[in-house]
Amino acid sequence: MSNKKVITIAESINIMSKTIGPAIREKNKAPIQKMAVEEAEAGADYLDLNLGPARKAGDEMMEWLVKTVEEVTDLPLFLDTTNPVALEAGLKAAKKNLPVINSIDARQESLATKLPLVEKYGCDFVALTLSDEGIPRDANERAMCLVSIMTAAAERGIPNEKLWVDPIVLPISVDLNQVLAFQEFLPQVQEICPGAKTTCGLSNVSNGAPTDELRRVLNRTYLIMLKKLGLYSAIVDSYDKELMDYACGGLQDIEDLVFKMMDGYEPDMSTLTEKQQHYAKSVRVLLGKVLYSHSWLEL
Amino acid sequence: MAFKEPVEKYNNSITEVSISDLKVGGQSVLTGIYSFDGPVPNPPKIAMEVLDVKPEEWPQTLVDAVGDVYDDPVKWALKCQNEFKADMICLSLVSTDPNGMNRSAEEAAKTAKAVLDAINIPLIVYGSLNSEKDGEVMKAVGEACHGKVILLGPADDENYRTVGGASLGYQHKVAAASPIDVNLAKQLNILLGNLGVPLESIVIDPTTGGLGYGIEYTFSVMQRIRLAALAQGDDKLKSPFINMIGKEAWKAREAKISESEEPSFGNLATRGILWEAITAINLLIAGSDIMVLRHPESVKLVRSFMNEFFK
Repeated sequence: MSNKKVITIAESINIMSKTIGPAIREKNKAPIQKMAVEEAEAGADYLDLNLGPARKAGDEMMEWLVKTVEEVTDLPLFLDTTNPVALEAGLKAAKKNLPVINSIDARQESLATKLPLVEKYGCDFVALTLSDEGIPRDANERAMCLVSIMTAAAERGIPNEKLWVDPIVLPISVDLNQVLAFQEFLPQVQEICPGAKTTCGLSNVSNGAPTDELRRVLNRTYLIMLKKLGLYSAIVDSYDKELMDYACGGLQDIEDLVFKMMDGYEPDMSTLTEKQQHYAKSVRVLLGKVLYSHSWLEL
Repeated sequence: MAFKEPVEKYNNSITEVSISDLKVGGQSVLTGIYSFDGPVPNPPKIAMEVLDVKPEEWPQTLVDAVGDVYDDPVKWALKCQNEFKADMICLSLVSTDPNGMNRSAEEAAKTAKAVLDAINIPLIVYGSLNSEKDGEVMKAVGEACHGKVILLGPADDENYRTVGGASLGYQHKVAAASPIDVNLAKQLNILLGNLGVPLESIVIDPTTGGLGYGIEYTFSVMQRIRLAALAQGDDKLKSPFINMIGKEAWKAREAKISESEEPSFGNLATRGILWEAITAINLLIAGSDIMVLRHPESVKLVRSFMNEFFK
């Protein structure tokens, strides 16, 4: 683990999933435990347990889910729900590691109901740059959201080190400017909030792309780009082996290529392998040098 | 020191598309009226819209202008050509809509051919905006109009194979329509390109929002497409624009509502015409190359505005 590059949080245990959703509702351990083991074997550092809003019996569901997962893995957990009662149930149920709350945002209600949990249990939390005004439009609005969360945390004596700042990845097929704003803001996090970690929901960058394989090309490329900009961790699809290879220290040639391109290098496509070309074309799109289209790899 | 006007120069240009003997595009400036930034080989064109069936529930202002001919597409087209001096005719085959009269592709093709034969300016033929039916209709229209070059459309991501195929098979040009989205506009041009339709045959219809009803979205998408084409050299987006302006402008409440219902809105006739003309002028500034209008007075207004730039 010495050359670990990016901390990964596996995203697949999600109530929205066709297999996991029914398993959670029916309290069927097998599919969930199978997935937890697979995610751990894939090299994930944390497992995200996503219950969504979990308005009905969220506490009971989260408690059961945490216990179920801890039976088969020692990995620490992210508790991913907007329901504070479910969060507390999960924090109480976890016996192996103290979980991370995913997430607390800058909306008044979120701060008021969830920061007390951080204070009480001493856990870390994902600080999502979202406010009562909605999703921030640019880097400055992201900074304003982060400052609101930091300030509210500091008032309760919670140090910056507890924050995993998530500046919200949005899809390249929807708004290039948001993708660029994330890249602009990420390096500023350490200046605004020294000591904080960073994270993101990486796969959202490829939302809307036509196939899973195409989505993965964008996800992988963006992870490498964000690594160069200082990203500490990412919530990822741990079933993407190439992405996990990179996160665990592989793909040195690809990292070199991507990093150089971010510094302005323009490679001669004819000298690259097909795989390198895919990364290079995706870098161009994610930097906004070439306008995204669903056929970006074919051009 | 004397004032020197700044000039925005780009090393790329919009592809020139020839529709019969009329050309659009070819400029290296952001819009077809920015002649102060560089040459505009083909200034924007005004097409007048003709429906293939007598329109229902038209605003009185439009009825007053074309009501004498609007039950006959050939007479209507000739009036737009001879009296209103349109650069092009845009025949909208609204009667083919399966949710309306559902006229057959063959009947629609006959109307298109009759209009084409009657006029001596270039023809645009638009469907009813039902993707599937438009594919069928454009195939028949393309075949019937073979021998002259017309602009067919709109092709979208569902029917681009049939509409693009009609363009390829009968040597027509094609309008590629995407829903106010720069990425999807690019994707459709790629898909048409994969089919074999060259860029020289494509005009982009970015989908038009009328004044007060989303025009700002259309405006900024057109600007982004132009900047991608000219500043970034994006080959897939170097297409001229067509905007269906009349259709959108005359949908607006402000263009139609009577003076008795809204006294503060002022004279109805002037208001509707201005609504259409101002929509057009906005999109002209955003880069429109073919503006499809309905009222002869707004045609005049837009033309006089354009002429100011080419003095």
